[in-house]
Amino acid sequence: MNYEFEEILETIRMTEIEHFDIRTVTLGISLRDCVDRNLEVTKQKIYEKITKYGKHHVQYAEAVEAEYGVAIANKRVAVTPISIPFDTYKMDDFVEIAKVLDKAAVEIGIDYLGGFAALVQKGFTRGELELIKSIPYALSETQHICSNVNVASTKAGINMDAINMMADVIKSLAEKTKDRGSIGCAKLVVYCNVPEDNPFIAGAFHGVTEPEVVLNVGISGPGVVLEAVKEAGNCDMNTLADVIKKTAFKITRAGELIGNKVAEKHGIPFGIVDVSLAPTPAKGDSIGDILKAMGVEDVGAPGTTAALAMLNDSVKKAGLMASTSVGGLSGAFIPVSEDQGMIQAVEAGHLSLEKLEAMTAVCSVGLDMVAVPGDTPADTIAGIIADECAIGMINDKATAVRIIPIYGKKVGETYDYGGLLGAAPVMPVSDLSSQGFVQRGGKIPAPTRSLTN
Amino acid sequence: MRINEEEIRKLTLQAIEELGDKATPDLVKQVVEKSVTNLGKIPEGNDSADFSSGRIILTSFGINHPGIIAGITTSLSEHSVDIRDLSQKILGEFYTMIMIIDISNSPNDLREIQEAMNAVSEKLKVKIYLQHEDVFRYMHRI
Repeated sequence: MNYEFEEILETIRMTEIEHFDIRTVTLGISLRDCVDRNLEVTKQKIYEKITKYGKHHVQYAEAVEAEYGVAIANKRVAVTPISIPFDTYKMDDFVEIAKVLDKAAVEIGIDYLGGFAALVQKGFTRGELELIKSIPYALSETQHICSNVNVASTKAGINMDAINMMADVIKSLAEKTKDRGSIGCAKLVVYCNVPEDNPFIAGAFHGVTEPEVVLNVGISGPGVVLEAVKEAGNCDMNTLADVIKKTAFKITRAGELIGNKVAEKHGIPFGIVDVSLAPTPAKGDSIGDILKAMGVEDVGAPGTTAALAMLNDSVKKAGLMASTSVGGLSGAFIPVSEDQGMIQAVEAGHLSLEKLEAMTAVCSVGLDMVAVPGDTPADTIAGIIADECAIGMINDKATAVRIIPIYGKKVGETYDYGGLLGAAPVMPVSDLSSQGFVQRGGKIPAPTRSLTN
Repeated sequence: MRINEEEIRKLTLQAIEELGDKATPDLVKQVVEKSVTNLGKIPEGNDSADFSSGRIILTSFGINHPGIIAGITTSLSEHSVDIRDLSQKILGEFYTMIMIIDISNSPNDLREIQEAMNAVSEKLKVKIYLQHEDVFRYMHRI
Protein backbone atom coordinates (compact mmCIF):
# COMPACT_ATOMS: atom_id res chain seq x y z
CA MET A 1 0.00 0.00 0.00
CA ASN A 2 1.29 3.49 -0.90
CA TYR A 3 0.23 4.93 2.42
CA GLU A 4 0.91 3.89 5.96
CA PHE A 5 -2.06 2.82 8.01
CA GLU A 6 -1.33 5.58 10.49
CA GLU A 7 -1.24 8.28 7.82
CA ILE A 8 -4.69 7.45 6.59
CA LEU A 9 -6.10 7.24 10.08
CA GLU A 10 -4.46 10.57 10.97
CA THR A 11 -6.33 12.30 8.15
CA ILE A 12 -9.61 10.66 9.11
CA ARG A 13 -9.07 11.66 12.75
CA MET A 14 -8.40 15.28 11.75
CA THR A 15 -11.51 15.62 9.62
CA GLU A 16 -13.90 13.54 11.69
CA ILE A 17 -12.89 14.21 15.29
CA GLU A 18 -10.65 17.26 15.52
CA HIS A 19 -12.84 19.72 13.56
CA PHE A 20 -10.36 20.20 10.74
CA ASP A 21 -12.21 22.02 8.02
CA ILE A 22 -11.64 24.49 5.27
CA ARG A 23 -13.06 27.55 6.96
CA THR A 24 -13.95 29.37 3.80
CA VAL A 25 -13.72 29.29 0.04
CA THR A 26 -14.17 32.89 -1.00
CA LEU A 27 -14.91 33.92 -4.55
CA GLY A 28 -13.40 37.34 -5.30
CA ILE A 29 -15.25 39.29 -7.98
CA SER A 30 -14.19 42.63 -9.43
CA LEU A 31 -17.02 45.15 -9.72
CA ARG A 32 -14.88 47.79 -11.39
CA ASP A 33 -16.79 47.50 -14.65
CA CYS A 34 -20.21 47.83 -13.04
CA VAL A 35 -20.45 51.60 -12.72
CA ASP A 36 -22.96 53.65 -14.67
CA ARG A 37 -24.30 57.21 -14.37
CA ASN A 38 -27.69 55.72 -13.69
CA LEU A 39 -27.92 54.04 -10.26
CA GLU A 40 -30.53 51.56 -11.46
CA VAL A 41 -28.25 50.37 -14.27
CA THR A 42 -25.35 50.10 -11.81
CA LYS A 43 -27.45 48.00 -9.45
CA GLN A 44 -28.48 45.71 -12.25
CA LYS A 45 -24.89 45.29 -13.44
CA ILE A 46 -23.74 44.45 -9.91
CA TYR A 47 -26.52 41.93 -9.41
CA GLU A 48 -25.97 40.26 -12.74
CA LYS A 49 -22.22 40.02 -12.35
CA ILE A 50 -22.32 38.49 -8.87
CA THR A 51 -25.06 36.03 -9.69
CA LYS A 52 -23.38 35.02 -12.94
CA TYR A 53 -20.01 34.25 -11.40
CA GLY A 54 -21.39 33.02 -8.11
CA LYS A 55 -24.38 30.94 -9.12
CA HIS A 56 -22.54 27.60 -8.83
CA HIS A 57 -20.21 28.60 -5.99
CA VAL A 58 -22.00 26.68 -3.24
CA GLN A 59 -22.69 23.69 -5.48
CA TYR A 60 -19.04 23.39 -6.59
CA ALA A 61 -17.75 23.72 -3.04
CA GLU A 62 -20.15 21.03 -1.83
CA ALA A 63 -19.06 18.68 -4.60
CA VAL A 64 -15.37 19.08 -3.66
CA GLU A 65 -16.29 18.66 0.00
CA ALA A 66 -17.87 15.28 -0.72
CA GLU A 67 -15.08 14.08 -3.00
CA TYR A 68 -12.27 14.70 -0.53
CA GLY A 69 -14.12 14.20 2.72
CA VAL A 70 -12.94 17.58 4.04
CA ALA A 71 -15.71 19.89 5.21
CA ILE A 72 -15.88 23.44 3.85
CA ALA A 73 -17.56 25.47 6.58
CA ASN A 74 -18.33 28.64 4.62
CA LYS A 75 -18.82 29.59 1.00
CA ARG A 76 -18.51 33.32 0.54
CA VAL A 77 -17.97 36.15 -1.90
CA ALA A 78 -15.74 39.25 -1.72
CA VAL A 79 -16.09 42.22 -4.07
CA THR A 80 -14.05 45.28 -5.00
CA PRO A 81 -14.14 47.90 -2.21
CA ILE A 82 -17.47 49.51 -3.05
CA SER A 83 -16.17 53.06 -2.57
CA ILE A 84 -13.70 52.68 -5.46
CA PRO A 85 -15.83 52.02 -8.56
CA PHE A 86 -18.83 53.91 -7.19
CA ASP A 87 -17.04 57.00 -5.94
CA THR A 88 -19.54 59.39 -7.52
CA TYR A 89 -22.47 58.15 -5.47
CA LYS A 90 -24.06 59.66 -2.38
CA MET A 91 -24.83 58.11 0.98
CA ASP A 92 -28.35 56.95 0.07
CA ASP A 93 -27.08 55.40 -3.15
CA PHE A 94 -24.53 53.36 -1.19
CA VAL A 95 -27.31 51.99 1.00
CA GLU A 96 -29.14 50.98 -2.19
CA ILE A 97 -25.98 49.26 -3.44
CA ALA A 98 -25.66 47.37 -0.13
CA LYS A 99 -29.22 46.16 -0.56
CA VAL A 100 -28.59 44.89 -4.06
CA LEU A 101 -25.44 43.09 -2.84
CA ASP A 102 -27.60 41.54 -0.13
CA LYS A 103 -30.11 40.38 -2.71
CA ALA A 104 -27.35 38.85 -4.85
CA ALA A 105 -25.95 37.03 -1.79
CA VAL A 106 -29.36 35.50 -1.09
CA GLU A 107 -29.78 34.51 -4.74
CA ILE A 108 -26.54 32.51 -4.84
CA GLY A 109 -27.12 31.02 -1.38
CA ILE A 110 -24.19 32.41 0.61
CA ASP A 111 -24.35 33.71 4.19
CA TYR A 112 -21.92 36.65 3.94
CA LEU A 113 -20.56 38.92 1.23
CA GLY A 114 -17.59 41.18 2.03
CA GLY A 115 -16.35 44.34 0.38
CA PHE A 116 -18.56 47.21 1.48
CA ALA A 117 -15.24 48.85 2.07
CA ALA A 118 -13.08 51.95 1.82
CA LEU A 119 -9.31 52.48 2.00
CA VAL A 120 -8.77 55.86 3.65
CA GLN A 121 -5.42 55.60 5.45
CA LYS A 122 -4.09 58.69 3.69
CA GLY A 123 -7.31 60.66 3.26
CA PHE A 124 -10.84 60.56 1.90
CA THR A 125 -12.35 61.00 -1.52
CA ARG A 126 -15.92 62.32 -1.57
CA GLY A 127 -17.30 58.88 -2.31
CA GLU A 128 -15.37 57.34 0.57
CA LEU A 129 -16.80 59.89 3.01
CA GLU A 130 -20.30 59.11 1.73
CA LEU A 131 -19.72 55.36 2.01
CA ILE A 132 -18.49 55.62 5.61
CA LYS A 133 -21.53 57.71 6.53
CA SER A 134 -23.77 55.07 4.94
CA ILE A 135 -22.32 52.11 6.90
CA PRO A 136 -24.74 52.24 9.89
CA TYR A 137 -27.72 52.24 7.51
CA ALA A 138 -26.25 49.76 5.04
CA LEU A 139 -25.36 47.16 7.69
CA SER A 140 -28.52 47.57 9.76
CA GLU A 141 -30.79 47.31 6.71
CA THR A 142 -29.11 44.21 5.24
CA GLN A 143 -28.45 40.71 6.56
CA HIS A 144 -25.47 39.39 4.65
CA ILE A 145 -23.21 42.35 3.96
CA CYS A 146 -19.90 42.90 5.75
CA SER A 147 -17.94 46.11 5.78
CA ASN A 148 -14.38 47.13 6.49
CA VAL A 149 -12.47 50.38 6.44
CA ASN A 150 -8.68 50.65 6.40
CA VAL A 151 -7.69 53.70 8.44
CA ALA A 152 -3.93 53.29 8.80
CA SER A 153 -0.86 51.73 7.22
CA THR A 154 2.88 51.58 7.79
CA LYS A 155 3.41 53.55 4.58
CA ALA A 156 0.77 56.23 5.18
CA GLY A 157 0.48 56.59 8.95
CA ILE A 158 -2.74 56.75 10.93
CA ASN A 159 -5.74 58.76 9.75
CA MET A 160 -7.10 59.99 13.09
CA ASP A 161 -10.06 61.73 11.44
CA ALA A 162 -11.09 58.41 9.92
CA ILE A 163 -10.75 56.69 13.29
CA ASN A 164 -13.00 59.27 14.93
CA MET A 165 -15.56 58.79 12.18
CA MET A 166 -15.41 55.02 12.55
CA ALA A 167 -15.90 55.27 16.32
CA ASP A 168 -19.11 57.23 15.67
CA VAL A 169 -20.15 54.73 12.99
CA ILE A 170 -19.65 51.86 15.47
CA LYS A 171 -21.74 53.61 18.14
CA SER A 172 -24.49 54.42 15.68
CA LEU A 173 -24.52 50.90 14.25
CA ALA A 174 -24.69 49.45 17.77
CA GLU A 175 -27.80 51.49 18.43
CA LYS A 176 -29.43 50.71 15.10
CA THR A 177 -29.06 46.96 15.71
CA LYS A 178 -29.76 47.05 19.46
CA ASP A 179 -32.54 44.44 19.16
CA ARG A 180 -30.01 41.80 18.19
CA GLY A 181 -27.17 42.61 20.60
CA SER A 182 -25.75 45.32 18.30
CA ILE A 183 -24.90 42.59 15.80
CA GLY A 184 -24.16 45.18 13.10
CA CYS A 185 -20.78 45.83 14.74
CA ALA A 186 -19.86 42.14 14.29
CA LYS A 187 -19.99 42.77 10.55
CA LEU A 188 -17.66 45.77 10.59
CA VAL A 189 -13.86 45.72 10.80
CA VAL A 190 -11.53 48.71 11.16
CA TYR A 191 -8.10 47.88 9.75
CA CYS A 192 -4.48 48.92 9.68
CA ASN A 193 -2.39 47.42 6.81
CA VAL A 194 -5.32 45.50 5.40
CA PRO A 195 -4.37 42.55 3.16
CA GLU A 196 -6.15 42.71 -0.21
CA ASP A 197 -6.68 38.99 -0.61
CA ASN A 198 -7.98 37.98 2.80
CA PRO A 199 -10.75 35.40 2.34
CA PHE A 200 -12.07 35.68 5.90
CA ILE A 201 -15.30 37.56 6.53
CA ALA A 202 -15.95 40.19 7.93
CA GLY A 203 -12.71 41.72 6.66
CA ALA A 204 -12.70 40.25 3.16
CA PHE A 205 -12.67 42.29 -0.02
CA HIS A 206 -11.39 41.84 -3.58
CA GLY A 207 -8.37 44.14 -3.79
CA VAL A 208 -7.86 46.54 -6.69
CA THR A 209 -4.73 44.69 -7.84
CA GLU A 210 -6.58 41.37 -7.99
CA PRO A 211 -7.70 39.78 -11.28
CA GLU A 212 -11.26 39.88 -12.64
CA VAL A 213 -12.27 36.90 -10.57
CA VAL A 214 -10.29 34.65 -8.22
CA LEU A 215 -10.79 31.96 -5.63
CA ASN A 216 -9.11 32.26 -2.23
CA VAL A 217 -9.16 29.74 0.59
CA GLY A 218 -8.97 30.17 4.34
CA ILE A 219 -8.02 27.07 6.29
CA SER A 220 -8.69 26.38 9.91
CA GLY A 221 -7.81 23.72 12.41
CA PRO A 222 -7.18 24.78 16.00
CA GLY A 223 -8.58 21.40 17.09
CA VAL A 224 -5.92 19.54 15.11
CA VAL A 225 -3.10 21.67 16.54
CA LEU A 226 -4.54 21.32 20.05
CA GLU A 227 -4.46 17.52 19.86
CA ALA A 228 -0.91 17.58 18.47
CA VAL A 229 0.28 19.87 21.28
CA LYS A 230 -1.39 17.66 23.88
CA GLU A 231 0.18 14.57 22.36
CA ALA A 232 3.64 16.17 22.34
CA GLY A 233 3.42 16.30 26.15
CA ASN A 234 6.21 17.75 28.23
CA CYS A 235 8.80 18.58 25.57
CA ASP A 236 10.99 21.66 25.14
CA MET A 237 10.06 24.69 23.01
CA ASN A 238 11.98 23.62 19.91
CA THR A 239 10.24 20.28 19.80
CA LEU A 240 6.86 21.91 20.41
CA ALA A 241 7.41 24.42 17.58
CA ASP A 242 8.28 21.50 15.34
CA VAL A 243 5.10 19.61 16.26
CA ILE A 244 2.96 22.67 15.46
CA LYS A 245 4.75 23.19 12.15
CA LYS A 246 4.27 19.60 11.04
CA THR A 247 0.55 19.74 11.80
CA ALA A 248 0.01 23.13 10.17
CA PHE A 249 1.92 21.90 7.12
CA LYS A 250 -0.51 19.05 6.58
CA ILE A 251 -3.65 21.12 6.92
CA THR A 252 -2.26 23.78 4.58
CA ARG A 253 -1.56 21.15 1.94
CA ALA A 254 -5.15 19.95 2.19
CA GLY A 255 -6.32 23.59 1.93
CA GLU A 256 -4.31 24.17 -1.20
CA LEU A 257 -5.73 21.02 -2.79
CA ILE A 258 -9.32 21.95 -1.98
CA GLY A 259 -8.84 25.54 -3.19
CA ASN A 260 -7.34 24.40 -6.46
CA LYS A 261 -10.15 21.94 -7.05
CA VAL A 262 -12.92 24.46 -6.38
CA ALA A 263 -11.19 27.00 -8.64
CA GLU A 264 -10.83 24.31 -11.32
CA LYS A 265 -14.55 23.62 -11.21
CA HIS A 266 -15.30 27.33 -11.59
CA GLY A 267 -12.78 27.57 -14.41
CA ILE A 268 -11.11 30.55 -12.72
CA PRO A 269 -7.62 31.19 -11.28
CA PHE A 270 -6.74 30.06 -7.77
CA GLY A 271 -5.48 32.91 -5.60
CA ILE A 272 -4.07 32.22 -2.16
CA VAL A 273 -4.30 29.99 0.87
CA ASP A 274 -4.77 31.95 4.07
CA VAL A 275 -3.04 29.70 6.59
CA SER A 276 -4.94 30.63 9.68
CA LEU A 277 -6.01 28.99 12.88
CA ALA A 278 -9.55 30.29 13.11
CA PRO A 279 -11.42 29.07 16.17
CA THR A 280 -15.13 28.33 16.47
CA PRO A 281 -17.27 28.13 19.60
CA ALA A 282 -17.23 24.31 19.29
CA LYS A 283 -15.52 22.53 22.16
CA GLY A 284 -11.86 21.80 21.41
CA ASP A 285 -11.73 24.17 18.41
CA SER A 286 -10.08 26.90 20.45
CA ILE A 287 -6.87 28.94 20.33
CA GLY A 288 -7.30 29.59 24.07
CA ASP A 289 -7.15 25.85 24.68
CA ILE A 290 -3.96 25.54 22.59
CA LEU A 291 -2.29 28.26 24.71
CA LYS A 292 -3.32 26.37 27.85
CA ALA A 293 -2.03 23.09 26.40
CA MET A 294 1.26 24.90 25.74
CA GLY A 295 1.52 25.42 29.48
CA VAL A 296 -0.03 28.69 30.73
CA GLU A 297 -2.63 28.19 33.46
CA ASP A 298 -5.18 30.27 31.58
CA VAL A 299 -5.22 32.78 28.73
CA GLY A 300 -3.97 36.03 30.22
CA ALA A 301 -1.29 34.50 32.46
CA PRO A 302 2.22 35.94 32.02
CA GLY A 303 3.75 33.97 29.15
CA THR A 304 0.56 34.00 27.10
CA THR A 305 1.94 36.51 24.58
CA ALA A 306 5.13 34.49 24.12
CA ALA A 307 3.16 31.28 23.63
CA LEU A 308 0.92 32.97 21.05
CA ALA A 309 3.94 34.44 19.25
CA MET A 310 5.47 30.99 18.86
CA LEU A 311 2.17 29.47 17.74
CA ASN A 312 1.59 32.23 15.18
CA ASP A 313 5.11 32.03 13.79
CA SER A 314 5.11 28.23 13.55
CA VAL A 315 1.86 28.30 11.60
CA LYS A 316 3.29 30.87 9.16
CA LYS A 317 6.51 28.91 8.63
CA ALA A 318 4.64 25.69 7.96
CA GLY A 319 2.28 27.47 5.59
CA LEU A 320 5.12 28.97 3.59
CA MET A 321 6.63 25.52 3.04
CA ALA A 322 3.32 23.86 2.25
CA SER A 323 1.92 26.29 -0.28
CA THR A 324 3.40 28.38 -3.07
CA SER A 325 0.73 31.02 -2.64
CA VAL A 326 0.29 31.97 1.00
CA GLY A 327 -1.55 35.23 1.56
CA GLY A 328 -4.27 36.99 3.49
CA LEU A 329 -3.82 37.21 7.25
CA SER A 330 -2.15 33.82 7.83
CA GLY A 331 -1.64 33.20 11.52
CA ALA A 332 -3.64 32.62 14.68
CA PHE A 333 -6.91 34.48 15.20
CA ILE A 334 -7.85 35.43 18.73
CA PRO A 335 -11.50 36.47 18.62
CA VAL A 336 -13.10 36.44 22.04
CA SER A 337 -16.72 35.41 21.43
CA GLU A 338 -15.86 32.79 18.81
CA ASP A 339 -13.49 30.85 21.07
CA GLN A 340 -14.63 28.89 24.11
CA GLY A 341 -11.22 29.06 25.80
CA MET A 342 -11.09 32.86 25.41
CA ILE A 343 -14.67 33.29 26.67
CA GLN A 344 -13.89 31.30 29.80
CA ALA A 345 -10.73 33.32 30.42
CA VAL A 346 -12.68 36.59 30.19
CA GLU A 347 -15.48 35.32 32.41
CA ALA A 348 -12.98 34.13 35.02
CA GLY A 349 -11.40 37.61 35.01
CA HIS A 350 -8.09 36.23 33.74
CA LEU A 351 -8.03 38.05 30.42
CA SER A 352 -8.30 41.84 30.28
CA LEU A 353 -8.64 44.07 27.24
CA GLU A 354 -5.10 45.34 27.91
CA LYS A 355 -3.56 41.85 27.88
CA LEU A 356 -5.57 41.05 24.77
CA GLU A 357 -4.10 44.15 23.14
CA ALA A 358 -0.59 42.91 23.92
CA MET A 359 -1.48 39.55 22.38
CA THR A 360 -2.64 41.25 19.18
CA ALA A 361 0.90 42.51 18.64
CA VAL A 362 1.96 38.93 17.88
CA CYS A 363 -1.19 37.37 16.44
CA SER A 364 -2.38 37.67 12.87
CA VAL A 365 -5.29 40.04 13.31
CA GLY A 366 -6.23 42.15 16.30
CA LEU A 367 -8.99 42.92 18.77
CA ASP A 368 -11.63 40.66 17.31
CA MET A 369 -15.23 40.14 18.43
CA VAL A 370 -14.63 42.06 21.64
CA ALA A 371 -17.79 43.17 23.45
CA VAL A 372 -17.59 46.28 25.64
CA PRO A 373 -20.27 48.11 27.65
CA GLY A 374 -22.90 49.89 25.55
CA ASP A 375 -22.14 53.22 27.22
CA THR A 376 -18.44 53.21 26.24
CA PRO A 377 -17.81 56.73 24.82
CA ALA A 378 -16.95 57.07 21.13
CA ASP A 379 -13.67 58.77 22.10
CA THR A 380 -12.63 55.71 24.10
CA ILE A 381 -13.43 53.43 21.14
CA ALA A 382 -11.37 55.78 18.94
CA GLY A 383 -8.51 55.49 21.44
CA ILE A 384 -8.70 51.68 21.35
CA ILE A 385 -8.66 51.69 17.54
CA ALA A 386 -5.73 54.16 17.49
CA ASP A 387 -3.72 51.92 19.86
CA GLU A 388 -4.36 48.90 17.69
CA CYS A 389 -3.40 50.82 14.53
CA ALA A 390 -0.19 51.96 16.22
CA ILE A 391 0.76 48.33 16.86
CA GLY A 392 0.09 47.45 13.23
CA MET A 393 1.80 50.53 11.80
CA ILE A 394 5.01 50.20 13.81
CA ASN A 395 5.29 46.42 13.40
CA ASP A 396 4.37 46.48 9.72
CA LYS A 397 1.57 43.96 10.18
CA ALA A 398 -2.18 43.80 9.74
CA THR A 399 -4.15 44.72 12.82
CA ALA A 400 -7.89 45.11 13.07
CA VAL A 401 -10.59 46.08 15.51
CA ARG A 402 -14.00 44.44 15.54
CA ILE A 403 -15.48 45.86 18.71
CA ILE A 404 -19.12 45.68 19.81
CA PRO A 405 -20.39 48.21 22.36
CA ILE A 406 -23.51 46.13 23.03
CA TYR A 407 -26.37 48.56 23.49
CA GLY A 408 -27.71 48.50 27.06
CA LYS A 409 -25.27 45.82 28.28
CA LYS A 410 -22.87 46.15 31.18
CA VAL A 411 -19.71 44.38 32.34
CA GLY A 412 -20.50 40.84 33.50
CA GLU A 413 -23.34 40.36 31.05
CA THR A 414 -23.09 38.15 27.95
CA TYR A 415 -24.89 38.24 24.62
CA ASP A 416 -25.22 35.02 22.66
CA TYR A 417 -25.26 35.62 18.89
CA GLY A 418 -25.45 31.93 18.11
CA GLY A 419 -23.66 30.14 15.29
CA LEU A 420 -20.04 30.94 14.50
CA LEU A 421 -20.20 34.39 16.15
CA GLY A 422 -20.61 32.74 19.54
CA ALA A 423 -21.37 34.34 22.90
CA ALA A 424 -19.70 37.64 23.76
CA PRO A 425 -18.97 38.45 27.42
CA VAL A 426 -18.87 42.22 28.01
CA MET A 427 -15.30 43.19 28.96
CA PRO A 428 -14.41 46.11 31.23
CA VAL A 429 -12.88 49.18 29.56
CA SER A 430 -10.71 51.80 31.25
CA ASP A 431 -12.67 54.81 32.56
CA LEU A 432 -9.83 57.18 31.73
CA SER A 433 -10.61 59.61 28.93
CA SER A 434 -8.89 59.59 25.52
CA GLN A 435 -10.76 62.65 24.32
CA GLY A 436 -7.97 65.23 24.48
CA PHE A 437 -5.76 63.04 22.32
CA VAL A 438 -8.12 61.62 19.70
CA GLN A 439 -10.03 64.88 19.18
CA ARG A 440 -6.87 66.56 17.91
CA GLY A 441 -7.73 64.88 14.60
CA GLY A 442 -5.40 64.99 11.61
CA LYS A 443 -2.89 62.28 10.96
CA ILE A 444 -0.21 60.45 12.91
CA PRO A 445 2.70 60.60 10.44
CA ALA A 446 4.13 57.42 8.93
CA PRO A 447 7.00 55.93 10.95
CA THR A 448 10.64 55.72 9.86
CA ARG A 449 9.95 52.11 8.94
CA SER A 450 7.87 53.40 6.01
CA LEU A 451 11.00 54.77 4.32
CA THR A 452 12.24 51.48 2.92
CA ASN A 453 12.96 52.61 -0.63
CA MET B 1 -25.15 40.99 -19.20
CA ARG B 2 -27.17 43.91 -20.44
CA ILE B 3 -25.25 46.37 -22.59
CA ASN B 4 -26.38 49.96 -22.76
CA GLU B 5 -26.46 52.32 -25.69
CA GLU B 6 -23.37 54.19 -24.61
CA GLU B 7 -21.30 51.02 -24.71
CA ILE B 8 -22.59 50.05 -28.14
CA ARG B 9 -21.68 53.52 -29.42
CA LYS B 10 -18.20 53.13 -28.00
CA LEU B 11 -17.83 49.72 -29.66
CA THR B 12 -19.01 51.09 -32.97
CA LEU B 13 -16.55 53.98 -32.88
CA GLN B 14 -13.76 51.59 -31.99
CA ALA B 15 -14.73 49.25 -34.84
CA ILE B 16 -14.74 52.12 -37.35
CA GLU B 17 -11.35 53.25 -36.16
CA GLU B 18 -9.87 49.75 -36.36
CA LEU B 19 -11.32 49.03 -39.80
CA GLY B 20 -10.06 52.39 -41.14
CA ASP B 21 -10.60 52.70 -44.88
CA LYS B 22 -12.25 49.30 -45.11
CA ALA B 23 -15.20 50.38 -42.93
CA THR B 24 -18.56 49.81 -44.61
CA PRO B 25 -21.89 49.89 -42.73
CA ASP B 26 -22.30 46.12 -43.10
CA LEU B 27 -18.79 45.29 -41.97
CA VAL B 28 -19.05 47.58 -38.93
CA LYS B 29 -22.34 45.98 -38.01
CA GLN B 30 -20.78 42.53 -38.19
CA VAL B 31 -17.80 43.48 -36.01
CA VAL B 32 -19.98 45.18 -33.39
CA GLU B 33 -22.37 42.25 -33.19
CA LYS B 34 -19.47 39.88 -32.64
CA SER B 35 -17.99 42.05 -29.87
CA VAL B 36 -21.36 42.30 -28.13
CA THR B 37 -21.73 38.53 -28.02
CA ASN B 38 -18.22 38.15 -26.63
CA LEU B 39 -18.72 40.86 -24.01
CA GLY B 40 -21.26 39.03 -21.93
CA LYS B 41 -19.23 35.85 -21.69
CA ILE B 42 -17.82 34.57 -18.43
CA PRO B 43 -15.64 31.51 -17.95
CA GLU B 44 -17.81 28.42 -18.20
CA GLY B 45 -17.87 26.43 -14.99
CA ASN B 46 -16.56 22.92 -15.30
CA ASP B 47 -18.62 20.75 -13.01
CA SER B 48 -17.20 17.54 -14.35
CA ALA B 49 -13.59 18.69 -13.81
CA ASP B 50 -11.70 15.43 -13.87
CA PHE B 51 -9.43 14.13 -11.15
CA SER B 52 -5.86 13.16 -11.67
CA SER B 53 -6.88 9.56 -11.15
CA GLY B 54 -9.87 7.48 -10.15
CA ARG B 55 -8.15 6.15 -7.05
CA ILE B 56 -10.20 6.43 -3.91
CA ILE B 57 -9.27 5.47 -0.37
CA LEU B 58 -11.97 3.64 1.50
CA THR B 59 -11.60 3.52 5.26
CA SER B 60 -13.89 1.53 7.46
CA PHE B 61 -13.90 0.92 11.19
CA GLY B 62 -16.17 -0.20 13.97
CA ILE B 63 -16.92 -3.22 16.11
CA ASN B 64 -15.80 -6.40 14.41
CA HIS B 65 -18.36 -8.97 13.29
CA PRO B 66 -18.56 -11.45 10.42
CA GLY B 67 -19.52 -10.23 6.96
CA ILE B 68 -18.14 -6.67 6.97
CA ILE B 69 -15.67 -7.07 4.14
CA ALA B 70 -18.13 -9.27 2.27
CA GLY B 71 -20.83 -6.60 2.59
CA ILE B 72 -18.54 -3.83 1.38
CA THR B 73 -16.94 -5.74 -1.49
CA THR B 74 -20.27 -7.09 -2.76
CA SER B 75 -21.58 -3.58 -3.13
CA LEU B 76 -18.31 -2.42 -4.72
CA SER B 77 -18.44 -5.22 -7.29
CA GLU B 78 -22.05 -4.36 -8.13
CA HIS B 79 -20.71 -0.91 -9.13
CA SER B 80 -17.79 -2.43 -11.12
CA VAL B 81 -15.25 -0.94 -8.75
CA ASP B 82 -11.75 -2.37 -8.88
CA ILE B 83 -10.04 -3.14 -5.55
CA ARG B 84 -6.33 -2.39 -5.79
CA ASP B 85 -5.15 -2.97 -2.26
CA LEU B 86 -6.58 -3.93 1.08
CA SER B 87 -5.25 -4.12 4.60
CA GLN B 88 -6.82 -4.44 7.98
CA LYS B 89 -5.97 -4.48 11.65
CA ILE B 90 -7.93 -5.92 14.52
CA LEU B 91 -7.47 -4.59 18.02
CA GLY B 92 -9.58 -6.38 20.60
CA GLU B 93 -13.16 -6.12 19.41
CA PHE B 94 -12.44 -3.24 17.00
CA TYR B 95 -11.35 -3.53 13.42
CA THR B 96 -9.94 -0.97 10.98
CA MET B 97 -9.84 -1.67 7.27
CA ILE B 98 -8.33 0.41 4.51
CA MET B 99 -8.86 -0.25 0.83
CA ILE B 100 -7.52 1.47 -2.24
CA ILE B 101 -10.15 1.26 -4.95
CA ASP B 102 -10.25 2.45 -8.52
CA ILE B 103 -13.53 3.78 -9.86
CA SER B 104 -12.35 4.79 -13.33
CA ASN B 105 -14.03 1.75 -14.94
CA SER B 106 -17.22 2.10 -12.96
CA PRO B 107 -20.31 3.48 -14.71
CA ASN B 108 -21.12 5.29 -11.44
CA ASP B 109 -19.44 8.44 -10.13
CA LEU B 110 -17.93 8.90 -6.69
CA ARG B 111 -21.07 10.43 -5.26
CA GLU B 112 -23.22 7.44 -6.26
CA ILE B 113 -20.69 5.02 -4.83
CA GLN B 114 -20.59 7.06 -1.63
CA GLU B 115 -24.35 6.76 -1.39
CA ALA B 116 -24.17 3.00 -1.89
CA MET B 117 -21.53 2.80 0.85
CA ASN B 118 -23.72 4.86 3.17
CA ALA B 119 -26.40 2.20 2.79
CA VAL B 120 -23.87 -0.56 3.52
CA SER B 121 -22.58 1.42 6.49
CA GLU B 122 -26.04 1.64 8.01
CA LYS B 123 -26.80 -2.01 7.42
CA LEU B 124 -23.53 -3.24 8.95
CA LYS B 125 -23.43 -0.59 11.69
CA VAL B 126 -19.85 0.43 10.86
CA LYS B 127 -18.26 3.66 9.64
CA ILE B 128 -17.21 3.90 6.01
CA TYR B 129 -15.42 6.92 4.50
CA LEU B 130 -14.54 7.39 0.85
CA GLN B 131 -12.04 10.11 -0.01
CA HIS B 132 -10.12 10.80 -3.16
CA GLU B 133 -6.50 9.66 -2.92
CA ASP B 134 -5.18 13.18 -3.59
CA VAL B 135 -6.07 14.43 -0.12
CA PHE B 136 -3.74 11.83 1.42
CA ARG B 137 -1.06 12.43 -1.18
CA TYR B 138 -1.13 16.18 -0.51
CA MET B 139 -1.05 15.80 3.26
CA HIS B 140 1.50 13.02 3.66
CA ARG B 141 3.78 13.19 0.61
CA ILE B 142 5.94 16.08 -0.51
